[in-house]
Amino acid sequence: MAKTLKTWTAVGIALVGTTQILEAAPSARVILPHNPAFILSDGEGGEGASEGGEGGGQAVSSYKLDSTDPTAFAFDAKPQIEAYATLVHQSYADAATGADKMAAAIDALLDKPLPETLAAARAAWVAARPAYLETEAYRFYDGPIEAIEGDINSWPMNEAYIDYVEGNPKAGIINNGTETITGAGLAAINQKSDEADVTTGWHAIEFLLWGQDLSTTGPGNRPSTDYIAGEGNNDRRRAYLKAVTEKLVGDLQSLEQQWAPSVAGNYREVFEKLDQREALGRMVNGMAILAGFEFMSERLGVALDSGDQEDEHSCFSDTTKQDFVHDLAGIKRVWEEAKLAGLVKSRNAAVASEVDGLLVDAEAKIGALGNPWDAVLRADAASSERKAAEEAMASLQALADGLKKVGSTLGVLVLIPTE
Amino acid sequence: MRLTASIVFATALTAVSIVAGAGGSSVRELLLSMPVTAALGGATTRPIAAQNAFSFAAPNAPREHQRIFSFGNRLFNTNWVMAPASVKAFDGLGPLFNRVSCSGCHTKDGRGQPPADGRGPMESMLLRISVPGEGPHGGPRPVPGYGDQLSERSNHDVATEGVARITYTEIAGYYGDGEAFSLRKPDYAIEQPGYGPLPADLLISPRVAPQMIGLGLLEAVPDATLTALADPGDADGDGISGRTNRVWNAETQAPAIGRFGWKAGQPTLRNQNAGAALGDIGLTSSLRSAENCDAAQAACAAQFNGGAPELTDVFLDKLTLYSATLSVPAQRGADSPAVMEGAALFRGLGCSSCHMPTLQSGGHPLPEVSHQTFHPYTDLLLHDMGEGLADNRPDFAASGLEWRTPPLWGLGLVPQVNGHGFLLHDGRARGFAEAILWHGGEAETAREAFRNTSKDQRDALIAFLKSL
Repeated sequence: MAKTLKTWTAVGIALVGTTQILEAAPSARVILPHNPAFILSDGEGGEGASEGGEGGGQAVSSYKLDSTDPTAFAFDAKPQIEAYATLVHQSYADAATGADKMAAAIDALLDKPLPETLAAARAAWVAARPAYLETEAYRFYDGPIEAIEGDINSWPMNEAYIDYVEGNPKAGIINNGTETITGAGLAAINQKSDEADVTTGWHAIEFLLWGQDLSTTGPGNRPSTDYIAGEGNNDRRRAYLKAVTEKLVGDLQSLEQQWAPSVAGNYREVFEKLDQREALGRMVNGMAILAGFEFMSERLGVALDSGDQEDEHSCFSDTTKQDFVHDLAGIKRVWEEAKLAGLVKSRNAAVASEVDGLLVDAEAKIGALGNPWDAVLRADAASSERKAAEEAMASLQALADGLKKVGSTLGVLVLIPTE
Repeated sequence: MRLTASIVFATALTAVSIVAGAGGSSVRELLLSMPVTAALGGATTRPIAAQNAFSFAAPNAPREHQRIFSFGNRLFNTNWVMAPASVKAFDGLGPLFNRVSCSGCHTKDGRGQPPADGRGPMESMLLRISVPGEGPHGGPRPVPGYGDQLSERSNHDVATEGVARITYTEIAGYYGDGEAFSLRKPDYAIEQPGYGPLPADLLISPRVAPQMIGLGLLEAVPDATLTALADPGDADGDGISGRTNRVWNAETQAPAIGRFGWKAGQPTLRNQNAGAALGDIGLTSSLRSAENCDAAQAACAAQFNGGAPELTDVFLDKLTLYSATLSVPAQRGADSPAVMEGAALFRGLGCSSCHMPTLQSGGHPLPEVSHQTFHPYTDLLLHDMGEGLADNRPDFAASGLEWRTPPLWGLGLVPQVNGHGFLLHDGRARGFAEAILWHGGEAETAREAFRNTSKDQRDALIAFLKSL
């Protein structure tokens, strides 16, 4: 965890000083954190310069809002915090288990590269994805995922950085270079010279299993013969697939350990000792930033505005709609399984009821999205598919707004990076 | 638009506007008298100091800008590909180019650096080139057979223009208290010229990619403020002149005051973006419709293009909103004793004569950057920086000795964002102290004051700069 970047905690305090977003109890005046501190990366930077490297600054930040009314936020959130930690741990355990099953299927593919074993490996990738997507509601604060998310789920990616593409049969690390391919070696160059030069994670594996999606009706169709040992650069491709798969499994297991109960010094231990509303702030911000920023803007809005398959989250396998469904499911699980719904209901039943309704609405709108997503991106701006996609975006904006009210109800600041 | 801007500015800042009519030095004094806060970017500020500190939207942007910003970010990160490609909207790279994306140089919306081994093709820096004399609209005169920028990369079937080579010579020096320092003096050459011998009178201006924060605020500073701050003949006798550049606006097809680029060669962000899209990536736009091929570069001109233009107005507009509305990170530790002492020294030693702590924006089509008081530490004017820093390459009205005062906001975060601490227009300085010690010309007095002050005070000044 030496490279932990506590980026998203800072987002939580980013708008300190603007009071109009707060809708707490009208009788009490909400007091914003009066001394917002800064989040500094731990020891990063400074490689090129004698004066570089300002890292190491330990800063305290806070999502917590104070009030002149001492009873304003007098409630016990221990059940929520414990349920959340249990949920997060279980989610990462499920994601790691799914990735491990995928790794076994990929081993079988490498053992006998046949259309059947390739199909089984692809099916295992698809089956493993939902559990991971549901963990995305635990991003966007200073959780352990922030340090390695770039290795796990980076996109969009310049696939020609990894392997051949149409028109460039000699492209990528697999067809160039002689260095031994290892997970650590690939991680060291992941997004190094360009953010699109992704080398690791789910989507690198996806590309290696499916290849480019050149079809307007289905996914990519890489032949299983790409993995026959000894031919062309196949041995490098085999080593690459094996290395990134093992790295992904290891990364997910490390997250599972960070949230496991009774592991000294792990993130869960820190999290459970936080001020209750500090912990609640992280929970709610993770949900709200996923809904109102990453999901709505980055995955739906940008793709719709470009109309480009490159902006499709899982573009090689055409499983992007499944991603969307489970990103939303992850938000809902925090709301329900971490018992936030009940806590909010006890403080402000109207807000709880509103969020319940917004989740139902968003589920309906996401469920109504066209499939595959690249067909929606190709659709005419006036088409029903496009209209449905705009409605899905609006439902996520409404959900994010509802989650801001949850923040006000619980006395935590909720802030979204593009707002 | 400009008229409206002036009127609104007058309303918001009556006192300044009144004295602007009376004389420039009063505008300067008024701006210098304003209190400086940690909100370096006014209401566009966010207190973020992590690796992505330069990549957030201004928090005061209206909600309808959110989607445009997100798409602008996508465009900024787009790896353009050679035409024809399956991705029609994003093809048109080259034929000659430096990098395939904006973010290739401005990685994480941050700052570039020279190559560690001194050899091109460079990743986040480029060489402008020209020959003596004036080119179109009074700008630099292109090198016959090459143009006005060295393209170190090219599409298949087109030769690259050459490869940059940087060699450094260490120059020893001493502080007033006897402590030694060393500055590295770069020398630039172009190897493997692809289009015939380069002329003997070749002029080279090396430039790193600057950080992208707060640019809309700078665009929204009224021309009248810059004119008032300028003192071309040093009428006040303080040894600091300060001139506005007079450049070409490709959108209005008229001369304009320059404010963007290392020598203030571009008047607006839209011009800057269209210029960089063409010069750096090879993308044509409505402002720059001709491919980046010199008359003598036949293979370049014969290449398939990605549409006319390759960067549509819709894309250019979104990219421009993005580039105008990136949040400025707040100052860190402003109330620590060292930073406070350094801030006082910054003024006392004379740094603030050019690195103006405070500017104010007028009206602007983007409300988030309008009518803000902010702290960029620049006057956006050209200053003679002496022989040591000179590129000796004129750029419109900027002489070979002059550079535009660069903003200092965000510089303390470059190590976090980009993993290095290289400063100045070509990244020759290995940190703040060297950057200051390179100052000459109009800044010589201030530099000498720094060189001769105590170690504690030098450290305090640097602590202040790192806090920005």
